[in-house]
Amino acid sequence: MFKKIVAITIMMAVLVSFAAATGSSEQQAAASGKTTIRFFHRWPMEPRFSYFNQIVAEFEARNPDIKIEMDSVENDAYKEKIRVLISSNDVPDVFVSWSDSFAFNLVKSGKVRTLNDMLEKDKAFANSFIKSQIGPFTFGGITYGIPLTIDGKVLVYNKALWTQAGITKEPKTFDELLVILDTLKTKGHAVPILEGLSNAWAISHYQGTMLQRYLPAAVLARDYAEATGEFTHPGYKVVLERFQKLVDYMGPNATSLTHTEVRNQFIAGKLPMMYMQLAEFAYIQASATKPDFGYFNFPAFSDGQGDPGLLTGAPEGFMMSNTSKNPEAAERFFKFLLSKENAYKFVKDVGAPVAVLGAVTNENSYPALMDAITLINNVSGSAPWFDNAVNIKVADAFMRGSQAVASKDKTVDQVVADIQAAAKVVKSEATK
Amino acid sequence: MKLRQLKAVAQPLGFILPCMIMLGLFVYYPLVQNFIFSSFRFSAFSPEKIFIGFENYKTLFTDEIVVTALRNNIRYAVVSVLIQVCFGLVLAAILEDRVFRRFAPLFRTTFFLPVVISVSVVCLLFGFVYNPIDGLLNKFLELIGLGSLARPWLGSGKTAIWATIAVSQWHSTGYIMMLFIVAIQKIPEELYEAAEIDGAGKLRQFFVITLPQVKEMFFVSSVITVTGSFMVFNEPYILTKGGGPGTSSITIGVHMYQSGFFKDMMGYASTLAVVIFLISAFFAVIQMTAFKSGED
Repeated sequence: MFKKIVAITIMMAVLVSFAAATGSSEQQAAASGKTTIRFFHRWPMEPRFSYFNQIVAEFEARNPDIKIEMDSVENDAYKEKIRVLISSNDVPDVFVSWSDSFAFNLVKSGKVRTLNDMLEKDKAFANSFIKSQIGPFTFGGITYGIPLTIDGKVLVYNKALWTQAGITKEPKTFDELLVILDTLKTKGHAVPILEGLSNAWAISHYQGTMLQRYLPAAVLARDYAEATGEFTHPGYKVVLERFQKLVDYMGPNATSLTHTEVRNQFIAGKLPMMYMQLAEFAYIQASATKPDFGYFNFPAFSDGQGDPGLLTGAPEGFMMSNTSKNPEAAERFFKFLLSKENAYKFVKDVGAPVAVLGAVTNENSYPALMDAITLINNVSGSAPWFDNAVNIKVADAFMRGSQAVASKDKTVDQVVADIQAAAKVVKSEATK
Repeated sequence: MKLRQLKAVAQPLGFILPCMIMLGLFVYYPLVQNFIFSSFRFSAFSPEKIFIGFENYKTLFTDEIVVTALRNNIRYAVVSVLIQVCFGLVLAAILEDRVFRRFAPLFRTTFFLPVVISVSVVCLLFGFVYNPIDGLLNKFLELIGLGSLARPWLGSGKTAIWATIAVSQWHSTGYIMMLFIVAIQKIPEELYEAAEIDGAGKLRQFFVITLPQVKEMFFVSSVITVTGSFMVFNEPYILTKGGGPGTSSITIGVHMYQSGFFKDMMGYASTLAVVIFLISAFFAVIQMTAFKSGED
């Protein structure tokens, strides 16, 4: 009996001390008199993960009264988790958001802090960004987010593999692109172009660009709006068929690969072509193989009615919660994240383009990145990521449908019907 | 006297009350709340809720994904009962046999090991196994001359759900096997000795002694497995990125989560949660009736 009592007492003591030791860092911070700021971002992978760790450490060193509690999950998971957090009363103090409809959905929760006052008071901060990139975070004249990165999506190619296949000219039209893919195929590249179609967002990037290139802007504007969208234009079917044509070049494995796996293949010099974000050039730059690559904007459809000069891509930035217990500390951290000094470091460490004026220079970047900035500045405009441009129900029907088309589980006609059904639901909800 | 009577009533109530409060707060209240939510349309982003009556239930009957999801859940349940429960029992019976007793601890640990690994880790691991280019499975098939069978296991609508189900079997069979081992160890040794004297072989001993004696455990593990099959979430969510390609490997749990937190249809997600509840309750009642649990 005595042994039992001793054993139970020891066990209880261990449990209690363990519970005390693992008490939330918020409690620990509170106990040490520090203010805790919760920061949630979507880059748990290198080099961005290390960058944010360093930034947080630097901020804490400069602000000994503040403790930053950082958490991160990657892309698709982030989209879901931030929605879960926003719907709860557990909104992080500072968090990442895409622009356009994604940002607007978060704003609709009423839990995102408006930034007009802050920007009004701190003109130097407000004027340190490319003005046009704040627009996608502004709704009804109220700004809710500030961009850190700017981006665009381009078709990249391995120059050595193109030369080996005798390809010398970048395609201007979709048909010319198909000719290039056929050439690569006949020269021994069974998979001349590839995408990780298991990632729904990667599909949406293709879809968004192809729809924008093919359909008249007025049709897209009407259909992308929740209250008027019907997606009955025959062009949607044409675009899906052309996407299917492109997928046929990707071989049987595309639907089970991720975008990262495909990018690794490109970097390893095994893949002639892929659709890549400008921000991803950094991975090539940081690789041991450093394949020599070229890139071009997605070509036009010869029968398309959209502006082929647009570049698909949108800024990504930070927002603040308006339910924060420590709004002043959150603002301090928010401004620190977006300062020119840190944006400069971001470009140097991560190698991605930023919206902070003067943060990209010859000293902290590499030629391909400088070219990318030139490209962004010279295109006729930008088109948002498709999954941020339309209601998520419609985007889901497009993305899942295209995945099913790629794995040959659905026909294009079935997918078009699904999209129209989703649009009908969205429209009825928006007009009720 | 009266005080003693009062005490006799109050004492058991005092023991039950904390449990009742916890159950009420964390099980029954959310359950009722979920039923109420299923008659509303609302967004995770907005506090505004619109009452729509049975509209969500009507949608349920026209939603093709529900059919796919339920079909996948049924596949999950059938395979899980066959592999985890039936095969788990066979494994347990073999390991508890006198002939194997010497090696039993080694095999017991080996089969149980996957259970202690987190499902997320297991799924990431099998993501590598199923990788169509460098994956262990396709490479192995090529190695033994069965390269024609190699395929994108998680990337094809025909194989994705089966590949996902297989991972669950690898992960959970050891657990059910362990439950059966405990049950078999409780069977009096004399029964087997008597049967042996009567000339019963191993197979006959299994059917006339082991099987009837572990009936209760068979029931419990069947309930665990079947209800677990209708709540499966992690495997398709991680392995096939939420039930892909398309919706081919989606389960009702994943559909519920995505409806709520991806498509922002919280009311409809609640309706799907009601479906999961009703199905689980239905199977529990059927199994309880069929096995007449508690009579032994």
